[in-house]
Amino acid sequence: MKKTNKTKIIAFFFLLVMSVLWLFPILWGVFTSFKSEEEITAAAASFLPIHWTMSNYSELLIDNASSPVVKWFTNSLIIAVSHTVLVLIVVSLAAYGYTRLKFKGRDLLFGLLLASMMFPSVVNLIPLYSIMDKLGWVNNFLAVIVPGAAGVFNIFLVRQFVLGIPKTFDESAKMDGANEFQIFHLIILPLIRPVLTVVALFSFTGAWNDFLWPSIVLNDIDKLPITPGLQLLQGQYMTYPGIGTAGALIALVPTFLLYLFAQKYFMQSMSLSSGVKG
Amino acid sequence: MAVIADKSLGNKKAGRKKWLNLWPALFVGPHLLLFVIFFLVPSVFGIYISFTDWDLFTAPAFVGFDNYKTILFDQDSSFHSQFYTGLENTFLFVLFAVPVCVVVPLFIAVALSAKPKWNRMFQSLFYLPSLFAISAVMIIWQFLLSVSYGPLANYFNISTNMLDNQPNAWIALVIVTVWWTIGGNMVIYLAALNGVPKDLMEAADLDGAGAVSKFIKVTLPSIKYQILFTTVMTTIAQFNVYGQPLMLTGGGPTDSTHVLLMYIQENAFGSGFSIAGISAAMAIMLGLCIMVVSAIQFYLLRDKD
Repeated sequence: MKKTNKTKIIAFFFLLVMSVLWLFPILWGVFTSFKSEEEITAAAASFLPIHWTMSNYSELLIDNASSPVVKWFTNSLIIAVSHTVLVLIVVSLAAYGYTRLKFKGRDLLFGLLLASMMFPSVVNLIPLYSIMDKLGWVNNFLAVIVPGAAGVFNIFLVRQFVLGIPKTFDESAKMDGANEFQIFHLIILPLIRPVLTVVALFSFTGAWNDFLWPSIVLNDIDKLPITPGLQLLQGQYMTYPGIGTAGALIALVPTFLLYLFAQKYFMQSMSLSSGVKG
Repeated sequence: MAVIADKSLGNKKAGRKKWLNLWPALFVGPHLLLFVIFFLVPSVFGIYISFTDWDLFTAPAFVGFDNYKTILFDQDSSFHSQFYTGLENTFLFVLFAVPVCVVVPLFIAVALSAKPKWNRMFQSLFYLPSLFAISAVMIIWQFLLSVSYGPLANYFNISTNMLDNQPNAWIALVIVTVWWTIGGNMVIYLAALNGVPKDLMEAADLDGAGAVSKFIKVTLPSIKYQILFTTVMTTIAQFNVYGQPLMLTGGGPTDSTHVLLMYIQENAFGSGFSIAGISAAMAIMLGLCIMVVSAIQFYLLRDKD
């Protein structure tokens, strides 16, 4: 017993030191965003604000035409929510199709889809822009909502879940005259809700945090989501740490709130994905 | 799609069965359609573009291997030097960042799995940054490391700029990347460590093994697949490095952190005339590197079996 106690104490102090290093940038950013510029540039700036001020936030949130943070935030919400809904529909339908329906070449087709995940996505960047151009989607939210739903990984994840549901469930429904859609809707869908929650959380944060693609395909300043928008904000407020950190923190609010309320789902999904492959 | 269409045609005679065979198209069809338009077509088209002089808007003209010859061998071309600078910097970043991004979360996970006080709270904290948007993280760190505003200068009297000289710029980029990405690998290790057989640990205890030798002889072999998995995934992720140097160092000092994906983006979508053909060739080369590395690592994984 003594030995395990010693291990625990060493582990605790190691984690304590590391957590200070991990927490420091966040806290420093939060406190800086509530400081006035004079306080930040003062030679012996204190860690905590001496006079808490909202001026950095009001500068960004009220009538800012060159960094329209409120507009960007709204755009991000529209994009991330639409993308999540689309992914949930497409993924749950496909996962059902690749497990419960029998059609020629089904497993071969799914195997090919899985193999496509090895293909490096950087190759698609330029031609995908051309497709957006042909569809008239440049500077249109559809360009950042729809293409991401073509991904395969989520189908793989949900499919694993559907495979674990006993077929007898479907069969008794079939005896009662239910068709495939009714089985999907009434029996499978309620059972896969946990894994769909994981898919939804990751689709939302993925869309919210996407940086390179939206900055390429959306170039109207009022159309930008907040993540690429912050790059403009950085250029504009290069010498204003208070405003810069305030902008960054506004962008972190939604993902932080999701994490606060759904932490266990985020943790689960990572071990799900590695457990299968590892 | 063709498979499904054929199938439903072939069964038309079968009356009732014809109905049944529309279901696959209904369930699998939507995703397959998206997959073809937004993945398959661009993948093929991307390879084709790299053999053209495309400028994003006018019709591309086929130029054979010219783009590849230019970026690989033409000493007089700026694209040649861009390609080698970008590729070298990308490789350097992978080389510096991957070991740290694999090992640091491993140590943290091992410490967490000892279940010390505040265990859950620590775990939540280390995972949190991986949900943050890269641009937000970079803005905070850029000010944090700044000589004029940051705490380094204020509290520790460090007047060296971390971002405008080497090797400091690389060190800064690696630190920021580890801080940002540690969560995913940590959770994978935690799940793996939970699966390490307790009796193995107890047997090692009975043999009087110390903590270090237990870690090397029992823990590491038990989770070697997860370590290889995280190494592969981290390597692939770091080859696509873009946001950190773009927003933290701007590719500097003197292009020493200017990575390949930045050149690809600039040449295709930058402010000047678009040279999408050259960019596509660079993207294919980067994609090849990623595929080669993952193939080597998967081969190693199989070898150790």
